[in-house]
Amino acid sequence: MTKRIALSLFVFLAFFVSSAVIAGGIRGKVKARGWKHSGDAVVHIDKVPGATFTAPEKHATMDQRNLVFVPHILPVLAGTTVDYQNSDDVLHNVFSPDKCAEKFNLGTWPKGQTRSYSFKEAGCFPVMLCNVHPEMEAYIVVLENPYYAVSAKDGSYEIKNVPPGKYTLKIWHEKLKGQSVKIEVPEKGEVVADFEIKR
Amino acid sequence: MKKAIVGFLATALLVLVFAVESYAIPAFSRKYRTSCSTCHYAAPMLNAFGKAFKNNGYRYPAGADPEMTKEEPVSLGSEAYKKVWPDAIWPADIPGTSPVSVWAVNRINYAALSDVKWEFETPHEVEILYAGTIGESFSFFGEVEIENDAGDLEIAFPLALQYDDNPALHVRMGMVHADPTPNHLKLTRNHYNVASFRSRNGWRFRDDHAGLEVWGAGNGSGERGGFTYRVGVVNGQGLSDMNKEKDFYGKMTYKIGGLGEVGGTEGAGSNASEFFLDDNVTLGAFMYTGTASKTGVADEDFTVFGGDVDFWYQRFILNGTLMLMDSRITGTPKRNSMVYYAQANAVLYPWLIGLVRYEWEDRDTDQDLVKPVNAIIPGITLMARANVKLIFEFKKFLDEANKKNDTFGFQINFGI
Repeated sequence: MTKRIALSLFVFLAFFVSSAVIAGGIRGKVKARGWKHSGDAVVHIDKVPGATFTAPEKHATMDQRNLVFVPHILPVLAGTTVDYQNSDDVLHNVFSPDKCAEKFNLGTWPKGQTRSYSFKEAGCFPVMLCNVHPEMEAYIVVLENPYYAVSAKDGSYEIKNVPPGKYTLKIWHEKLKGQSVKIEVPEKGEVVADFEIKR
Repeated sequence: MKKAIVGFLATALLVLVFAVESYAIPAFSRKYRTSCSTCHYAAPMLNAFGKAFKNNGYRYPAGADPEMTKEEPVSLGSEAYKKVWPDAIWPADIPGTSPVSVWAVNRINYAALSDVKWEFETPHEVEILYAGTIGESFSFFGEVEIENDAGDLEIAFPLALQYDDNPALHVRMGMVHADPTPNHLKLTRNHYNVASFRSRNGWRFRDDHAGLEVWGAGNGSGERGGFTYRVGVVNGQGLSDMNKEKDFYGKMTYKIGGLGEVGGTEGAGSNASEFFLDDNVTLGAFMYTGTASKTGVADEDFTVFGGDVDFWYQRFILNGTLMLMDSRITGTPKRNSMVYYAQANAVLYPWLIGLVRYEWEDRDTDQDLVKPVNAIIPGITLMARANVKLIFEFKKFLDEANKKNDTFGFQINFGI
């Protein structure tokens, strides 16, 4: 019994150490020209050859609070279910006019309740709107792997625990043109990739 | 110069009686960073939430106003000064930026019997509107209105200050709601005939009524629908009373179904989502009693009773108002009048609304010689943007005496 525990512990530690060591990171800065700030850009690895990723069982959440979608940009792995919560004492709605999200419309619901939708198609960037408050807007960025980050307002971003290899790194922004660059993530350490995006 | 100023002020005072209350306030859009359609079906017509906002004293329902306000108000004393009262002034705040908006109205008119059949009336009217809250318990709403009336310049400046104890109890002073017609439903450029109908000495609901009013609203069972009430006392005919008598009025409504009159979302979930939807039926009853004066003739005592129904189902709205007036002038026979209208709206798209209204006005129901006036008003309202509204409207008279008085109007309004 003690041997089995020791063996399990060894396997776990070996896996943990190898994952931690044989994985690099990507970091950099985004400069958004002609936009209010450099945040809310989604930097992500386009494809990871030979790998498939299962959506998490835990639902992602997008809140409606003080007539604003929070967060404004929500990247998710394809297959993820997003719960839309109403935290306001007014009726809210969520719908998307985009075909890749089946033009879904969740109706209206009161404070404290949620309604959900599962995003199936990777490469889909549907806009979220509220029919009751037309100024409200948010985006779900549906991706096929979990290697992504949303830039902070100062433009900085960081993607951790990326398996080493050569990839295409892409950037998506709600209003500015996307870009892609080739990168090679080392087994140890980080690769730096900066972006300057504009209309 | 002195003469000109006196003339200007006299004109201003005279035209106060022509004031028309407006509701569209882009200043609220700025305060809450939200679109006009949060509160308006098609500005200035209110949707269910807009009515709940008004019923809360121009505040978000359920005490959520502070967190919904995106413009930081300016403090006129910290909250803690409440502990110091009466040795200090009770604290309050005012809007962070100037709560002023502009609503402009341009018209192109066609009048069949006029010498100038087609006329560009641009502008017809400019309204400088201001509204907001002062701390937790006061609110205000006013306007300075400059209007072209057949070549004459009219200026009016109605305003109201309101004490908001809670949604069920407000005390309003100034421009009060003596007019029972549902202006929150008005989409047309033509006024409701009920509002424009004059007593023999010239009184009508449409004119501004200055006075004091107690009013309130509450939700019905399950936080759906609910009641509103208002009772008040007014001069009757403008800012300066034309006689020693005061006029009294009251109105009550009860809404069955739909969003609660003072908001709240409990039990309100559905598969529908459009801002203009609110399935309900609202029934109302009103009265007004007063004395109208006119130079050179005896005073007229009159009483008005009436009722209205307002039915919202999906994209359709049906509403109608009936008013009965009896007028008594010493030395003349009593006159009984009946006026009503019925209107149907349909939202074809959220930006395109079709409507048709039928009007009937019988000035003297006991006199067959006085023929009733009746007309039909088909129209289209087109919201080019949330704050830019186009109205195409035709008024076709159906009675023999007025059948050549048909009018067509195109109107474009915008608010900023």
